[in-house]
Amino acid sequence: MEISLFDAAAKGFLNLLHLKVLLAMLLGVSIGTFTAVAPQGLGMPLVYAIALPIVIKWEPITGIALLIGASSVSAICAAYLPILFGIPGGSGSQATVLDGYPMGKRGEGRRALGASFMAGGMGCLIGTVTLALAIPATRPLIYLMGSPELFVVMLWGLSMVAVLAGRRPIKGLIAAAFGLLLATVGQQAQSGIMRFVFDQPYLLDGISISIIALALFGIPSALDLALTKLGVEQQPVPLKGSLFDGVKDTLREWWLVVRCSFVGVWVGIVPGLGSQVVDWLAYGHAAQSCKGASQSFGRGDVRGVIAPESANDAKDGGDLVTTLLLGFPQGVVTALFIVALLAWGYLPGPEMVKKNVDVIYSVVWLQGIAGITGTLIGFFLAAQLAKLAEVRYTFMVPIMFIFILMGAFSVNRDPTDLLVVVAFGILGYFMRRFAYPRPAMILGLVLGDLMEKYLYRSVASYGFSWLTRPAVVVLLILASTSFVFTLRGRLRAKQKASSSPLSGALAGAQDES
Amino acid sequence: MRRNFLVVFSLGGLLIVVAEVANAQGSFYQGKTITVIAGTEPGGTLDMRIKSLTHFIRKYIPGEPTIVTEYMPGAGGRKAANYIYRVARPDGLTIASPVGGFLMLAVLKEPGVEYDISKFIYLGAPDGVAHYVFHSRKEAGLSSVEKLRAAKGVRIGAQAVGHTIYVVGRLFAYIFALKEPKFVTGYSGPEIDLALQRGEVDARPNLADTLLRRTPEFVEKGLMDFHSILEAPLGKKHPHFSYLPEISTFARSERTKGVLEMFRASRTIGGPYILPPGTPKDRADILKEAVRKTFNDPAYQSEYKKLVGDDLAPVTGQEIETAIKALKPDVEVIEIYKKIVGAGPLPAP
Repeated sequence: MEISLFDAAAKGFLNLLHLKVLLAMLLGVSIGTFTAVAPQGLGMPLVYAIALPIVIKWEPITGIALLIGASSVSAICAAYLPILFGIPGGSGSQATVLDGYPMGKRGEGRRALGASFMAGGMGCLIGTVTLALAIPATRPLIYLMGSPELFVVMLWGLSMVAVLAGRRPIKGLIAAAFGLLLATVGQQAQSGIMRFVFDQPYLLDGISISIIALALFGIPSALDLALTKLGVEQQPVPLKGSLFDGVKDTLREWWLVVRCSFVGVWVGIVPGLGSQVVDWLAYGHAAQSCKGASQSFGRGDVRGVIAPESANDAKDGGDLVTTLLLGFPQGVVTALFIVALLAWGYLPGPEMVKKNVDVIYSVVWLQGIAGITGTLIGFFLAAQLAKLAEVRYTFMVPIMFIFILMGAFSVNRDPTDLLVVVAFGILGYFMRRFAYPRPAMILGLVLGDLMEKYLYRSVASYGFSWLTRPAVVVLLILASTSFVFTLRGRLRAKQKASSSPLSGALAGAQDES
Repeated sequence: MRRNFLVVFSLGGLLIVVAEVANAQGSFYQGKTITVIAGTEPGGTLDMRIKSLTHFIRKYIPGEPTIVTEYMPGAGGRKAANYIYRVARPDGLTIASPVGGFLMLAVLKEPGVEYDISKFIYLGAPDGVAHYVFHSRKEAGLSSVEKLRAAKGVRIGAQAVGHTIYVVGRLFAYIFALKEPKFVTGYSGPEIDLALQRGEVDARPNLADTLLRRTPEFVEKGLMDFHSILEAPLGKKHPHFSYLPEISTFARSERTKGVLEMFRASRTIGGPYILPPGTPKDRADILKEAVRKTFNDPAYQSEYKKLVGDDLAPVTGQEIETAIKALKPDVEVIEIYKKIVGAGPLPAP
């Protein structure tokens, strides 16, 4: 490096002290907030694709300010849909529905929103600080995580079915197996074989996880409102909690925020994991490690909101570590960010670390400042958004169906998706009615594809010797230990519950998961 | 006098008719919207190609219509191609740019193809030149083609069965006559580079420009051994890798050469812009001319370079139609090519 990191950080900050840069960042933050609040109709890739031809004609730091401003806040404000309507947000915010919606129904929507914004803001800052500190240390971590190690991590993730299945392990296993089976639909990348395609071009690429999640959780929530004929907060419960209660919850659970943020940063840094798993891994970690989680998770525990939201927002910092320091895009958004950097004459990767480290620090500063701004905007909007929960069901139910159908259509712009979302919605309704845990099915679906890919790559590259790699052995021991402890904890909790006078009430309680 | 009057009157009438026809063509697009169907997700290379074009082409279409992009990803371009063939109205207001592979999928009669590539109207393509470089990691010790041939089970990384990089990797392995090569798939492009550096795979092919842009250290620090290049079209040298032997120099038989030329022909066509069959000729001609003028616009060429990262290598609609007519390989070549595109063992070279 040609200048010290401290000087580069200072220069990176000075780069931002221009009115047009700050205005561009605010414009980006506004676009990102709008994108997050819009009902899944806009995604950040589309925003980047539209903005790119315009911003590459600007001065680099101004253009970077707009792009980073937009992407850094897009996840912070995405929690209102799952909390207020039970409709999963974009990928990375799906697990929030598990505890966020029960909180909303219990009259604690404001508290859940406060917790999600605060957790998102803190996660964003932790991701940003990690990005700042990671400059000398990232490369070894990325080289350590090969396909065998990633497979074991996915296996570890699948063990969370034990947590997500709640008190119905057999039904949980059936749901997870069905999710794994659904993940096999389409052309298999490794062999080119068509599986369950039935000569239908629609099925060649499989069924989108976003559509299935939207259907499984969103449609039953809308039907729920239609059948009870009450708005989300018109359920027969007193309204309680405020945004600041959620803030206090998050500050009290600061250690959970830190842990889950590191889960997010790690998912962001390691190539190939993607945003689809980040919220589930964080949620699973919280469900395994938080005290009393076996009784409260899935029934409106604020920690079930804090965990996925902090991880999802921290992931952006991790994404940028790999993008800026190694030049490897982690998804469409970071690929487009690289296109923009190349158009401005920067070469992301080691050369950028060597020659333009001040620009990297400008990105770090922008990420942090935009994250704080986005959180403040989130709090401001939350007060308005929370009012939606008071709207009568006669208005709310059609709006929810419009959100769900628009969300489904926006994934591929394919009308067939509308039929699929309805079909899976009906499935979700019956799964809920007969207490088959839907999160276990989503987890199977999310991890199935990744597990198959990593296992195939491990065996194709190393035969069975991959099982003897030191990092694999360490991860396998950690995964097994965690699984055994979780299982033991849940068995003990079950025994305690069955001997407690509350057991009848617990058994009768509706399982929101 | 009367005859002169008739001649002048007729000429005048003819001029009015010509002007009306021209005006009718020009005014057709006035106030209209052209939809460009992109066979990809927002943000991919194909999307960037479309973005750069739509920004400039408007001014070359009389009437300066509004141009919007609609995304229809899936099935390797088949979804978009099926849509433009079967559903889109042939009124000159819908253009498609499916993923380039949709042509070969039709030639190979793959499932899901519901279109006839000889019936589309081709406007042109921006990417008719490509250079693929085959390289292996230094630590593997495979420093020459002879050593590659002597080694058993060389692991070659790729994205997915049927992906262009996979097909090119299989072509190199087939023509080099490698012993039982293993194709390790399921990566993204940058992930293959990581897997190479981690030792998870031994070799890969990559586009020369992408390699120089994304992993310049492979060349600068000598981390890789470079073995051969595939030029499309043949003879179009890459400025950095012109020293590498062209893959055809390793081809041992006419049949092998036929397979290679089939790939080269399809790749030279690039990713074309197409119109539905039956689009009125006058509107198709307006759009062809607009694409041609856009390709010649220096400002567009500069924008293309910025957004896509590669130099523009235009192919005209006429050239594409000629190439597609010539794309009728014999049955034996198609059978071998199918084996190369597929996942089973490679055929004998």
